[in-house]
Amino acid sequence: MKRPEPLEIFQPASVEEASAIVKEKGPGGRFLAGGTDLIIAIKEKGLAPKYVVDLKRVPNLSGIREEADGSLTIRALTTMREVEISPLIRKRFPFLAQSAAEVGSIQIRNRATVGGNMANATPSADVAPSLLVLEARAKIASAGGERVLSLEEFFHGPGQTAMLPEEILTAIVIPPTHPKLVGEYIKFSPREMMDLAYVGVAIALVLNGKEKRCESVRIALGAVSPTPMRARKAEAVIEKQIFTEELAEKAGEEAAKECKPISDVRSSAEYRRAMVGTMTKRALLNAAAQRPGPVPWVERRERRY
Amino acid sequence: MEQLTIVGKPVTRVDAEEKVTGEAVYGYDLVLPDMLYGKALFSPKPHARIKRINTEEAKQYPGVVAVITGKDAPWTHGESIKDKPFLAQDKVRYIGEPVAAVAAMDEDTAQAAVRLIEVEYEDLPAYFSPEEACKPGAIPIHENFASYRKFDFIVPGSMPNVCEHFKLRTGDVEKGFREADLVLEERYYVPVIQHAAIEPHSSHAQVDPESGRVTIWVANDAPFRALHEISEALGLSQEKIRFINPLQGGGFGSKGGLKVETIAVALAYHTKGKPVRVKFNREETFISTLTRHEAVIHIKSGVKQDGTLAARQMTLYWGAGAYAEKSPTVCIRGSLPAPGPYRIPHVRVDGYAAYTNKPVAGSFRGYGIPQGAWACEQHMDEIAKKLRMDPVELRLKNIFVDGDLAYWGEQLHSVGLKETLIKATQAIEWGKPPGFPASQLGGEEARRLKPNIKIGKGFACISKPTRTPTTSKAGVLVNSKGEITVLAGTVEIGQGCSTILSQVAAEELKVPLDKVRMAPLDTDMIPFDASTTSSRSTYHMGNAVRRAAIDAREKLMEMARPMLEAKNEELACSNGKVYLKDQPQMALPIGDVVRRKLGNDGIVRGDASYTYEIGKDLDLETGHSDHASAFYMYATQAAEVAVDEETGRVRILRMSAAHDVGKAINPLNCAAQIEGGLAMGIGSALHEEMVIDSQGKVRNPSFLDYHLVTSLDLPEMIPIIVECPEPEGPYGAKGLGEPGLAPTPAAIGNAVADAIGVRICDLPLNPERVYWAIQQKRAKGSSRWLTEVA
Ligand SMILES: Cc1cc2nc3c(=O)[nH]c(=O)nc-3n(C[C@H](O)[C@H](O)[C@H](O)COP(=O)(O)OP(=O)(O)OC[C@H]3O[C@@H](n4cnc5c(N)ncnc54)[C@H](O)[C@@H]3O)c2cc1C
Repeated sequence: MKRPEPLEIFQPASVEEASAIVKEKGPGGRFLAGGTDLIIAIKEKGLAPKYVVDLKRVPNLSGIREEADGSLTIRALTTMREVEISPLIRKRFPFLAQSAAEVGSIQIRNRATVGGNMANATPSADVAPSLLVLEARAKIASAGGERVLSLEEFFHGPGQTAMLPEEILTAIVIPPTHPKLVGEYIKFSPREMMDLAYVGVAIALVLNGKEKRCESVRIALGAVSPTPMRARKAEAVIEKQIFTEELAEKAGEEAAKECKPISDVRSSAEYRRAMVGTMTKRALLNAAAQRPGPVPWVERRERRY
Repeated sequence: MEQLTIVGKPVTRVDAEEKVTGEAVYGYDLVLPDMLYGKALFSPKPHARIKRINTEEAKQYPGVVAVITGKDAPWTHGESIKDKPFLAQDKVRYIGEPVAAVAAMDEDTAQAAVRLIEVEYEDLPAYFSPEEACKPGAIPIHENFASYRKFDFIVPGSMPNVCEHFKLRTGDVEKGFREADLVLEERYYVPVIQHAAIEPHSSHAQVDPESGRVTIWVANDAPFRALHEISEALGLSQEKIRFINPLQGGGFGSKGGLKVETIAVALAYHTKGKPVRVKFNREETFISTLTRHEAVIHIKSGVKQDGTLAARQMTLYWGAGAYAEKSPTVCIRGSLPAPGPYRIPHVRVDGYAAYTNKPVAGSFRGYGIPQGAWACEQHMDEIAKKLRMDPVELRLKNIFVDGDLAYWGEQLHSVGLKETLIKATQAIEWGKPPGFPASQLGGEEARRLKPNIKIGKGFACISKPTRTPTTSKAGVLVNSKGEITVLAGTVEIGQGCSTILSQVAAEELKVPLDKVRMAPLDTDMIPFDASTTSSRSTYHMGNAVRRAAIDAREKLMEMARPMLEAKNEELACSNGKVYLKDQPQMALPIGDVVRRKLGNDGIVRGDASYTYEIGKDLDLETGHSDHASAFYMYATQAAEVAVDEETGRVRILRMSAAHDVGKAINPLNCAAQIEGGLAMGIGSALHEEMVIDSQGKVRNPSFLDYHLVTSLDLPEMIPIIVECPEPEGPYGAKGLGEPGLAPTPAAIGNAVADAIGVRICDLPLNPERVYWAIQQKRAKGSSRWLTEVA
């Protein structure tokens, strides 16, 4: 083994330059955003990148913007804390703000970025399920140009995405949504804070009329399959039906069946599966009880409904 | 008694400012000139013979100064049993055992060189349960056990791998069971946990090539004991060894004895006089320092219909891990009071400390009491259930009171237990239907909707002995500015001893608290102290400092007598002055007294020593002693919990903790100790467990998956101070360091059982365990979680 070399760090001023550096230096490098995953991987998990390309000097890579068509752009280097407190997000998608607020601690959220959470692609990434139910898209750029993928296509496996080494995630785009959309994110973990999700469940729901007919529903699960996933069979249980508690429970059972959890030091697959059922039901009930607009932050969502 | 001016007051900690501003220097922060950096290679095998070690490549690595293995450090150490090599000798006994070490110019270089060391192992059968390890036919983890130097009170007995067999024999349990109306037998289990002090372990060492003097900088909780242990190991006289104690960032028992110190010392013999620092990261601290004993506990009781305890038999298997460390004394002091603070005529206890191939277990805040209480106190509630009796009433029938003859043969005095029981249970409104603040459950709306939330209450009582007999010595210096310096070997481990001891000195010399400072801890300068362990410091060192301060005060008064032209008049001190009792205007500041007599550089020194004189030694056949402990600490904690039956998640709504401290020298610090203890106890009740797999590997050696509680996990805490004075203690004080977490898991366990109607016998009560227990209850109505009447 060689003596550890000092880490080579680049600080490009544009996406093109950043991408070009990777093309030139070859594979084995890493982009750096907030560093809350990367630095720990280097210091404690033996990751030894050949070089690091810091994206924080690239202008226009952060910020949240509502476009004319009603879509919402969250640039990749926007921090979790910015998402958590953004009046825009709190108004339109309070559950997305909630999912960002569930990450680590305030100190972590001040550094951790949305792009990093997606690019790192852990199955338990807290913001992923909420973005999945909003059918968000990932904007990816390189020196060669730009492409857009749905977030579902973006995730390939634990730590794996659709991006090529020289590609940079520049933004997450949430397409225009129904004005009546309500949602929910529940992070289930044994501790009240500073914990990874054992199970994460996000819901986006549009209910119509007094009878609460479900015009559309999307359910996404975190930490229970190799990538954050949509639970389409569970969605089908409710779609176009009149929303009831029984139906929510059935959807939970369906979600428990279609997820693919593993057993690890945190918990057994069976327990995770059972919690997917319970939390899906609770998340649906929580969502259905809401009105569009900001939701006051009261307590852990798992305890509401 | 004289009016107290500072003792008994809730003064702010004397070290608060330097700690909150980050100015305090801890052992982990310490940088020495010319320092080298050490790193160790840890065994990947739970039990294996070392066939070959190749260090050649590591030695060639640029920047490396020394590479050593067990051959270069041919020493063993161990407080009670001298069984532990500095670096593995011939074989390894757990995953994480240090096998070789490197000193280099920087840490990265040392780590890189460590990776170049090649070791060839030959696997041996390994044991991961204390019950398994001592079954007949088990192969010995220590082949040469018989030849090790041991404390003379150690009784290994005849079972394999047992390094201590403690016996308590009182009356005739079989007779007691025959006379009982109800006999109940259960098994409880407490897993391995770790202290998880925020500051990981580190040690610096330097060997002077000429004089052979060894200097060790380490935040050890018992520098004098560590000095003795190093001296015995190296065969070096004690004068040649010096311990300098920087501040300790928490220890909870993990930083006594020798841990990283041995690696640092072994390396320092190969660095030509340069100091070496060995600093463990969190993972290394998890796998290679110290853990709390796992315990398998069998408990069987005979009870009369009216709740009177007739007999209790307990067998406790303490998992010692790979080396004895403090296992023999944990086994003795944890097993002896395990049957609980109750009058029981017939008692039989067998405690076995058994070697396993897991990380080493040793002292941990509570010293065996939490494990015994987890079994005993839940068992008591099961008895109450069977007898359809209120658990409080059952305790009151049997609980220790003043004058009782405890089952280990000691007449008890100053027993504040009953008061703690009554106050703690009252604080959570015992007996009233579950009341809980609506805010805790998310308001009215939430409450209405939650049929899955079950509320329960529970409590647990304990008594805890302290290490006895032990000695503390102290010096108190008064200079010509009237400033006081206290020389005391008690280590500030975060518990607040510097505040308490400063208060004691200030009280006796009648000076304001800001005139007192604690001298830094250096064994070359500071008088002997046994250890900062076992909740012993306020009592023992408090007594020593008090006496030393009185000694200084008397000297000052003698000196002041001619200055104040006093003949037979009585002198007194107050407000930093000596004065004539009858003519208070005739007064001299104590600094002036020193200056006038001894000049500007003068110092008046008071000295004292305190030893608790033990009665009869522990009888090895019966476990009896008429003074097993200098004092006893009594406590009751009570919890109200909410269990979500759909998830198994336990939330503690409120928790009271009533502790008999004898006398609260500083009520603020007492409350803080109690709250800190509760936080730690709640962690061990709900989350904490070192998951060690079937190959002996720790699967969660980080705070990601080893779950301490966070501030948001903590309930409303209600600390209650009970003062039942101990005549021998300073101002009546006992101790408080350890009991804060001792009854906590049992109290929560009882509350959970009350909530869900199932008894869970294994810790921790994490959501998954509780969830499956509820599922099993639903599936069968009865299950292995449920206890049966024997
Ligand atoms: C104490 C602690 C607690 C945590 N708690 C949580 C939690 O509760 N929930 C949770 O989901 N996560 C948690 N995390 C993980 C982490 O904070 C998040 O995943 C965070 O969003 C990562 O963002 P970052 O900007 O720090 O990423 P970085 O560490 O900078 O990068 C992570 C990875 O993504 C790549 N990358 C980053 N940005 C881009 C980009 N724009 N284009 C291409 N690749 C990119 C990097 O090369 C790297 O491989 C925690 C971390 C810590 C240290």
